[in-house]
Amino acid sequence: MNYEAVIGLEIHVQLNCSTKMFCDCPNIPGDEPNQNTCPICLWMPGALPQFSQEALEKATLVCLALNCEIQKQSAFDQKVYYYPDLPKGFQLSQAHRPLAKNGWMDIVGEDGNQKKLRIHHIHMEEDVAKLVHEIEGRTPISLVDFNRAGSPLVEIVSEPDMRTPYDAMEFLRRLRTQIRYTGSSEGSMEQGTLRVDANISIRQRGSNELNTKVEVKNMNSIRNVGDAIAYEIKRQTECLKTGEPILLHTRLWDPEKHITTAMRGKFEGPCVPDPSVPHIIISDKWLCHMKSLLPEMPNQKTQRFIKQYGLVHEEAAFMTSERDISEYFEVVVSKKASARTSAHWIATQLLPILKDRNQKIKENPVTPERFAQLLLMLEHDEINTNSAKEVLIRLFDSDRTPEEIVEKFGFKQISDTSEISDLVEKVIADNPSAVANYRKGHEKALGFLIGQAMQASQGKANPKRIQEILMEKLN
Amino acid sequence: MQSDIFTYIDPSPFSLMENGPLTGKSVVIQPNMSVRDWPTEAGSAALERYIALEDATVVERLRQAGANIKGSSRMSEMGFGLGGDTGAQALADGIADIVLITDTLGEARVAASTIGAIGFKPSHGIVSRFGLIGLVPSMECYGVLANSLADISDVMRVIAGNDDHDLSMLEGKVPDFDKNYPIEESKGSLAVIQECFDLLSPEDSQDFDKTLKRLNQAGLNIEKFRLADFDLFSKVHKVIGSVEASSAGGKYDGVRYGHRTSSASNWNEMFLKSRGESFGLLVKTYMFQGAYFQFENYKAFENACRIRARLLKEIEGIFNKVDALILPTRRSNIPVDTTLGISKVYDAFLMTLLANVTGSPAISLPGLISRMKNDPGLQIIGPHLGDARLLFIASQLKNIAKRDI
Ligand SMILES: [Zn+2]
Repeated sequence: MNYEAVIGLEIHVQLNCSTKMFCDCPNIPGDEPNQNTCPICLWMPGALPQFSQEALEKATLVCLALNCEIQKQSAFDQKVYYYPDLPKGFQLSQAHRPLAKNGWMDIVGEDGNQKKLRIHHIHMEEDVAKLVHEIEGRTPISLVDFNRAGSPLVEIVSEPDMRTPYDAMEFLRRLRTQIRYTGSSEGSMEQGTLRVDANISIRQRGSNELNTKVEVKNMNSIRNVGDAIAYEIKRQTECLKTGEPILLHTRLWDPEKHITTAMRGKFEGPCVPDPSVPHIIISDKWLCHMKSLLPEMPNQKTQRFIKQYGLVHEEAAFMTSERDISEYFEVVVSKKASARTSAHWIATQLLPILKDRNQKIKENPVTPERFAQLLLMLEHDEINTNSAKEVLIRLFDSDRTPEEIVEKFGFKQISDTSEISDLVEKVIADNPSAVANYRKGHEKALGFLIGQAMQASQGKANPKRIQEILMEKLN
Repeated sequence: MQSDIFTYIDPSPFSLMENGPLTGKSVVIQPNMSVRDWPTEAGSAALERYIALEDATVVERLRQAGANIKGSSRMSEMGFGLGGDTGAQALADGIADIVLITDTLGEARVAASTIGAIGFKPSHGIVSRFGLIGLVPSMECYGVLANSLADISDVMRVIAGNDDHDLSMLEGKVPDFDKNYPIEESKGSLAVIQECFDLLSPEDSQDFDKTLKRLNQAGLNIEKFRLADFDLFSKVHKVIGSVEASSAGGKYDGVRYGHRTSSASNWNEMFLKSRGESFGLLVKTYMFQGAYFQFENYKAFENACRIRARLLKEIEGIFNKVDALILPTRRSNIPVDTTLGISKVYDAFLMTLLANVTGSPAISLPGLISRMKNDPGLQIIGPHLGDARLLFIASQLKNIAKRDI
């Protein structure tokens, strides 16, 4: 029998607002426990919720970036359940009337074809408190940290349009890029600002039925999501083959053992309209304003980079994969550095060093201005590629300009004809067999001779000039 | 005996405002209205030893207007019904000029009617609920008891009005309590709902009829309306009210304040036992009923919300034709301070629930239903936000009553 998987994702995104959703407490969950609390987020008797305009704005930007229709009216509901992480016995969420509906994103599937993946809706929600389990002496104790209680979240609920782990991972990558572009969230699964639950069911290929789904939680990277889904597809397919029933439940991904394990029966509490948080009514004017705040998104930007800067598609796509990279690139180019060289050097030199040093492109000591100066020296043949790489590394630990570093460490390229002539003559004299080989037609020997000359110049000679003079002398 | 009336007496209740509109007036509130540093237990062990952290907006405004808040009275658990309430007694005994009682089912109006005082329930959404420890947010509000309409107007002028702390308020729609309502502008007619008579005892029915005749003789048109759905007000209130109560009560976990059970082996057990030991049977049953609609019969809750919207329209239709709706405040043969089950409590407030369901302003006036003893009070209900006009109509009806004597 031929089976296929039906996959839907539920994605919680932590918005990087300055305050919580319903009070003015700082939205810094990582602070000293219970520091960022007040009568509202502790839901003390008599307290009433405020509502953060910033949360609404950032949530709206996320919805717009995912091509959703913002609803003219939305409202908060109380998701009722009783647990120590909830100070009031319910969680404020938009169950019945979400902020936005009907979104979509295009991905390129494994077969290379474009695929439209739909988003059912996006709603706003408050985060709950964090439970900390510790051992005091020999007694296990549980502590509650309310710093996170009331932090603003949006939950993105996809349609079950994905069929493979690859689809899900691509969807998440695209989604993450879009969200990060809006500046509304860091969107990091590793840091928990993006949390993904996957719903997976199996059916006969070609069928339209939706079978009992299993929810998988606790993945902390996009790769994990792919692995967990792949495992779950395999597990459920086995169940179908052996006739074991598939029950509605939640499973936890174990990233060490690479398996999922059953967690608990899924409990769906009721949702009743909340009488205290006012309904959200969106005016056309406000929505227009929000749309104007939406930055140029990666797809448009890629097209523009191709047109405006003459990049090829792969380069443009890479330069727009993160908003910070694209902005860095544009400043470098605005300083007259060649666009393709800039793209190439950002991708192959700058970003790997930043990754090694665990630094972000936005706040790194090699400002786009300094980087552009370096590239200009390279383009004007003042230094060669090897030297440029050396200078770049030194730029990280020095306040000097690239010119000063080149000057100080003597990286200036030797383009002087007589000096190179001397070098070349010495190399020809020292390597008679390579010279002979070249004359017999072995092209490789030329590369060897150029290398020898470069070495003799301690890497400072202009390799193009060496080649020209070498060929002149050999022919 | 003051100590029978109060749960807390302020040792120095004097406001520093010398020339405020309420300077010199004594006010008694309930312990579900927050006053910073006062015990605020809302009549429930679930809030045992809870001390308010901030002043309720209403309390702050009363003090700024010069009122002396003397203390808080005893109250029914969470303000549900009138079992054990002593607020009205404080007014009757002359301890207070003004008493605040939360009006969830009609408590303020009914309590006033039992002592021959005036009881007023403002429109929903014009008085901030910040600092009010409520039970049914969409139906409850501060109710005002006083011996004169002037005192009621004065209090309303002070406490009504927008408050940034309460976003559920109706922005910028506060009635103008200083406005005059020239008699020519009124329709000169009052509505009576026919179905009410079926719920009254023969005596009450007769007396109410007599009152209507007198009002008619005084030149007012009395128009009778049929409202077959009248009994739905009680049902809708019961379903929506209990659901909201269940939600509002979810925060009482006995951990941060309130009664906590002495023995429990885990959180679930502690939560269940603490709550089980804290709430009285009445409130417990009410919350349990709400949880039933939340978890087991959500459809019924949705129906109730839909019916509520329809009832609102029907009542609006009546207000398009008349100035106000009148009916007795309570049924004189039904005890009002019962705690013997939800149905009995609702029975006691059958005449007042309408205004809580629709959010309308309503007032109970003494002395209009002619009777020596146990005057059930005449209730006048006006359209939403028509509070000021309602008070004006009330003063006119009082004049009619005076003329008769
Ligand atoms: Zn807070």
